[in-house]
Amino acid sequence: MTAPAPLLAVTGLAKAFNGVPALRGVDLDVLPGEVHGLLGANGSGKSTLIKILAGFHDADGGTVTVGGTTVAGPFGARGLRDHGLGFVHQDLGLAGTSTVLEHMALDSNGDAPGRRRIRWKAERARVTELLDRFEIDVDPDVTIDTLSPVQRAMVAVVRAVGSQELTSGSATGGQILILDEPTVFLPRHEVGLLFALLRRLRERGDAVLLVSHDLDEILEVTDRVTVFRNGRTAGTRATQGSTRDDLVQLILGAHDEHVAKGAATVRSDRPALLSARGLSGTRVRDLDLDLHAGEVVGVTGLAGSGFEELPDLLFGARHATAGRIEHGGTVVAKPTPARSMDAGVVLIPADRKGQGGALGLSVLENVSLPFLTERAGGLLVDWKSLDRRAQDTCERLNVIPANPHALFGHLSGGNQQKALLGKWMDTNPQVMLLAEPTQGVDIGARREIFTLIRSAVAHGMAVLCATSDYEQLVEMADRVVVLDGGRISAEVTGSDITKDVLASAVYAEEAS
Amino acid sequence: MNTTHSEAGTKADPMTPTPGGGTSTGGKKRKASAEPERFALIGVWAVLIVAFSLIVPQTFPTAANVSNMLSSQVVLLILAIGLLYPLRAGDYDLSVASTLNLSTVVVAILNVQHGWNIWLTVLVAIVASLLVGVVNGFVVTVFDINPFIVTLGMGTVVQGLVYLLSNTSTISGIDRALSSAVLTRPFLGIPVGFYYAIVLVAVAWYVFDKTAFGQRLLFIGQSHDVARLNGVNVPALRWRALIISAGFAGLAGVVYAGTTASADPVSGAAFLLPAFAACFLGSTVLRIGRFNPWGTLIAVYFLVTGITGLQLLGAEQYVQQLFYGGALVIAVILSKLVRNRGERKRRAEAADPA
Repeated sequence: MTAPAPLLAVTGLAKAFNGVPALRGVDLDVLPGEVHGLLGANGSGKSTLIKILAGFHDADGGTVTVGGTTVAGPFGARGLRDHGLGFVHQDLGLAGTSTVLEHMALDSNGDAPGRRRIRWKAERARVTELLDRFEIDVDPDVTIDTLSPVQRAMVAVVRAVGSQELTSGSATGGQILILDEPTVFLPRHEVGLLFALLRRLRERGDAVLLVSHDLDEILEVTDRVTVFRNGRTAGTRATQGSTRDDLVQLILGAHDEHVAKGAATVRSDRPALLSARGLSGTRVRDLDLDLHAGEVVGVTGLAGSGFEELPDLLFGARHATAGRIEHGGTVVAKPTPARSMDAGVVLIPADRKGQGGALGLSVLENVSLPFLTERAGGLLVDWKSLDRRAQDTCERLNVIPANPHALFGHLSGGNQQKALLGKWMDTNPQVMLLAEPTQGVDIGARREIFTLIRSAVAHGMAVLCATSDYEQLVEMADRVVVLDGGRISAEVTGSDITKDVLASAVYAEEAS
Repeated sequence: MNTTHSEAGTKADPMTPTPGGGTSTGGKKRKASAEPERFALIGVWAVLIVAFSLIVPQTFPTAANVSNMLSSQVVLLILAIGLLYPLRAGDYDLSVASTLNLSTVVVAILNVQHGWNIWLTVLVAIVASLLVGVVNGFVVTVFDINPFIVTLGMGTVVQGLVYLLSNTSTISGIDRALSSAVLTRPFLGIPVGFYYAIVLVAVAWYVFDKTAFGQRLLFIGQSHDVARLNGVNVPALRWRALIISAGFAGLAGVVYAGTTASADPVSGAAFLLPAFAACFLGSTVLRIGRFNPWGTLIAVYFLVTGITGLQLLGAEQYVQQLFYGGALVIAVILSKLVRNRGERKRRAEAADPA
């Protein structure tokens, strides 16, 4: 490699949200004819970078150079697409009931006036040629939902390439393609097909930026890899000669950053409050798990491994395809949220704005929902006592503002989470299921939330915490269950829980 | 201070929280800041009343006109109050107008053509209307289909049924007992129907503000997921709300039959848009952004004041369409603006957590 000029060069790019920096000046360059990996833990700034390039956010500072010309921000709604960048997002952006041909025709008409007639014959020729050129065995006339996941991913990639070729007017390569975790929802054995496609792109001189969580994939397909950590570029390495350990260390930072874990206790001697036997869902496969009184059980894994789904399954918010759930030893016939709540099982979902609370209603209304029927047999809501309780909860949990009449949506993420936590704590639950409980929560509130959870656990509550934030598990979990492909691949207990151990347990699925 | 909070907050630099802001949260009882726009519609209404009283003093501010305005809107008010239930739950019921018509026609046919007792026919009419709601709710919740399209279709089916039953002709001669039950003037020279409607408004207010049912409907309207994850039986409550709106439509139809003492197969359809206009305009008064019964009451009478005044000034029939249609569009624009303002406020407060 004689260091050709990079096709895409990012220097000193910075972005802050509400004063919280997400990117503190990252550097990245992608050369023609390489597949460049982008790695980093959650919150390291990977997705912020992609979103800036795609035009969702405007950068606060820094420069982006495409093919030698510096592009001044803001990039506008179309981002850098007009400058030759193609994007494939995780959800692929394909509509199930439209055909491959229709999707591609959409691109070639871009922002043409609506009266422009689509020349279907030419369109079909272009699409067929494109699919053939990249050796993708897909009929342009089939609808997206008849395709396998990997075929969809390949169609999305080729579509982006085709769209770039239309913009530049040539089919000779030199395009820039950004793939944001395209493999998360692909079956493992099919990923190779997508990678073969990426290699073909590389051979014709395109630059591919591949964002991924999966170290093995990165090691398998990339030429170089850049790692982000806490909004900065932690380093760029040639993939050849790098080991998994090198990368893990780069992702997590220096080893001495780890907090030593205090004495954690595993309570398998106590009765199980909530058990799952042979539980299966969309991703979870045949899972057995017991939650004992007085313990915090962490659940983690790669995105798509099924850990995100587990709290919903246990709560009955999502129907299991097989298996059973037991509350204190008795089988629950058909778990629903209402039944779970009756049994003292509560869920705090990850999607706080969409599922946790109603943004357009007041804090009082949000925290009162489980207590509406408490008095007068549901005939009359006792707003006065609910108001007192909400005021009390807000003050006890240090919700700011401590005003129950404030709109829930006006609170910051951390305060919303504290209010929801307070609401469920007031129901005296036996089991609390948490999904990414500190996502979008600032450091101070995060600490308060941990303290609250630990003190509730000390009083005999069982907590399940599904998260991809290892640091959080190190701080609060008594044991951590690692999922891979829907099954438990490892269990780490007590003082063994460190970020290193968790990272290698999560990333080492191939070895086991 | 509180009233100007949003103004000050938007100017604050998000990077540096103002040091003075953080201390006031210790204060115990912070009253919700007074929002003068909550009463804007009432103010405009008052201006209209004064203006028309000055321009047409011989006809507008008279007891007869006031009594007429109050009583002429009873059917619309009852219909709109019923419509609030599904709207609270975030669902449209577009079949209410034809359900109203069905109820009117059933009363007329059974009473006039079959000679049934008037009160029995009223009962049958209301049960028939409730059935429309049951079917609406069944399709919406069991098949999980958008109620907008379901009730649009069901409304047309019911309208067809109305034509079939009535033979596309007007039936007059409904028992006078029904008319006197809604048109008697017991108090202040206003027909009793008006007082019925006020009672229904008060009941709706009680249900929405004081019962768990009303509160749960509100959560469903905000987010099905939030409600479901809090143990609310979302389908059952949506179904119930659609049955209630159909029942109110049936009741409105009965009152309509009493007011006109006759039934024709088309005039009910004219109530659909005014009912939605009243509900949406009502959501910009008293509780902004929330469908609420007292606001709906105010909206109904605001609209009729404007229409009556303009008609007394010599405006033609068209003024009604202009007014109701305009009100609906302006109401949704207003609620959108208020939401955007809330969004700005949220951002300002996120930057300055006091």
